[in-house]
Amino acid sequence: MDIIVLIKQTVDMDQIRLNENNEVIAEDLPLKTDVLSKNAIETAVQLKEKYGGKVTGIIFGTEKATSSMKEAYAMGVDDGYIIKGYKKSDPIITSKVLSNKIKEIKNDLIILGNQSSDSYSGLLAGLLASELDMNLLSNAIKIDVDGDNVNVTMEAEKEEITMESKLPAIISVAQEINEPRLPNVMKIMAAGKKNINIEETDVKYENDDKILSDKAPENKRKKIIYEDGNGIDEIAKILKVVK
Amino acid sequence: MRCLIFSDDADNLKEIISYFYKKMDIDVFCNSEVLDYGANNVYKYNDGFSDNISEYLIELYNKNKYDYIFISSTNLGRQIAGILSDKLNEKCMPEIFSFENDYKVVTKRFFYGGKSVLTEETDFKIFTVAPGIYEAKKVDKRSNLIDAKLKNSRYKILSKKKKNTGGNDITKAKVIVSIGRGLGSKENIEKVMPLVDALHGEIAGSRPVCLDYKWLSEDKQVGLSGKKVKPDFYIALGISGQIQHLAGIRNAKTIIAINKDKNAPIFEECDYGIVGDLFTVVPKLVDKLKNN
Repeated sequence: MDIIVLIKQTVDMDQIRLNENNEVIAEDLPLKTDVLSKNAIETAVQLKEKYGGKVTGIIFGTEKATSSMKEAYAMGVDDGYIIKGYKKSDPIITSKVLSNKIKEIKNDLIILGNQSSDSYSGLLAGLLASELDMNLLSNAIKIDVDGDNVNVTMEAEKEEITMESKLPAIISVAQEINEPRLPNVMKIMAAGKKNINIEETDVKYENDDKILSDKAPENKRKKIIYEDGNGIDEIAKILKVVK
Repeated sequence: MRCLIFSDDADNLKEIISYFYKKMDIDVFCNSEVLDYGANNVYKYNDGFSDNISEYLIELYNKNKYDYIFISSTNLGRQIAGILSDKLNEKCMPEIFSFENDYKVVTKRFFYGGKSVLTEETDFKIFTVAPGIYEAKKVDKRSNLIDAKLKNSRYKILSKKKKNTGGNDITKAKVIVSIGRGLGSKENIEKVMPLVDALHGEIAGSRPVCLDYKWLSEDKQVGLSGKKVKPDFYIALGISGQIQHLAGIRNAKTIIAINKDKNAPIFEECDYGIVGDLFTVVPKLVDKLKNN
């Protein structure tokens, strides 16, 4: 089975600092593989281990994406493409760039994370499924392949739904689907020597999204803190209205 | 102005209709009979999938020339938003929690996992709406109910399983006592239940507590990827206050935190805080509440 895994690199959001106007300083932040992309890689590699085949990773990112691709190799991805030219979160552009590359690679399954941890948009799977005219299953917590069919259990808001679909299909995964493996040193060393295919795209971003402000959410909390276990009387008084 | 709203979740749908009621004319495409919240027409479908729902929405959009499409951010909603965005070649602004169109469209959404709020001006037509945008309110106006016949889908459901839920809906609770990793073990939940009972509240928890350790069922998870709650009082016990958790409690009126680590970020985002051992503080607090 030929599997493509789509990997996203995001800024390390724990490192975000604010300036004196409470605005996010987004420049020069360290990058890392997005949390759900690791679940997607783990899913793809587990499916390969179970059903055989090959896993190809694709990152639409910058020249800094090699670290994420090496991580994917160490986890078991066989081949990888980095397409440079990513500038900002714009799901339509990301979908166009990725689908162009996907069309060049033989595939039965495309795996990606359900929502990325920066924007939580969750639009990419639908965009790609529509663009590539592929079956779409999202927020998967279990995937079983059976011949030409794939059975996927998806986590919806109030229920778990198991659906049957034909291959090829595009499946986004939830964090609950697995625990991404931690590769050993040997695998990390070997991954560092593997070739990464690097390509360019000259995609044009439109300036149709004017950011009026990008600030930390307002904090109007009172922040009255009692130390050493004090403050029980005061808190009890505040909670009295509940009764 | 006219808009089309899609939602497969009746609660989210009511919130979205109430938010736009009287701001524009509203038609709705949904699988529930939500007829007294102010929509003009309610197109109701049964058992839809991403393919046949998208197809129907595109027909409606082309026929009725809506100015905007609002889609509730559910798992199915996000699939459909992506498909519509591609098929209509219109950009989609995701996860909005505020929408104004006085002169141009200005929306707000969280970015960087809740670390910032992006206020953006666009001419986008499709939006996904985060849960909890507004309080749902019934109105006198009654909507027309129209039966929507969907085409056949390429998908087939093999089975459905109701999620393991622990009773009441925490998004409707007036008082929430929420537990974090600091509680130490599932067995310790009974040590904080007297506080929940004394306040007639609901118990909830952080992501690790609900998803990783499964001390509570998943529907009790508060945060960016869980429920967004709006109680009068949110009492955080042993919760450090990761940014993703805080994004779920921004609409709480009063936040009270009890944590033994005085550097925990929750103390930056609370109204009242006690730095101390929750197993000492909570029983004392319960005593006080009972004796008053």
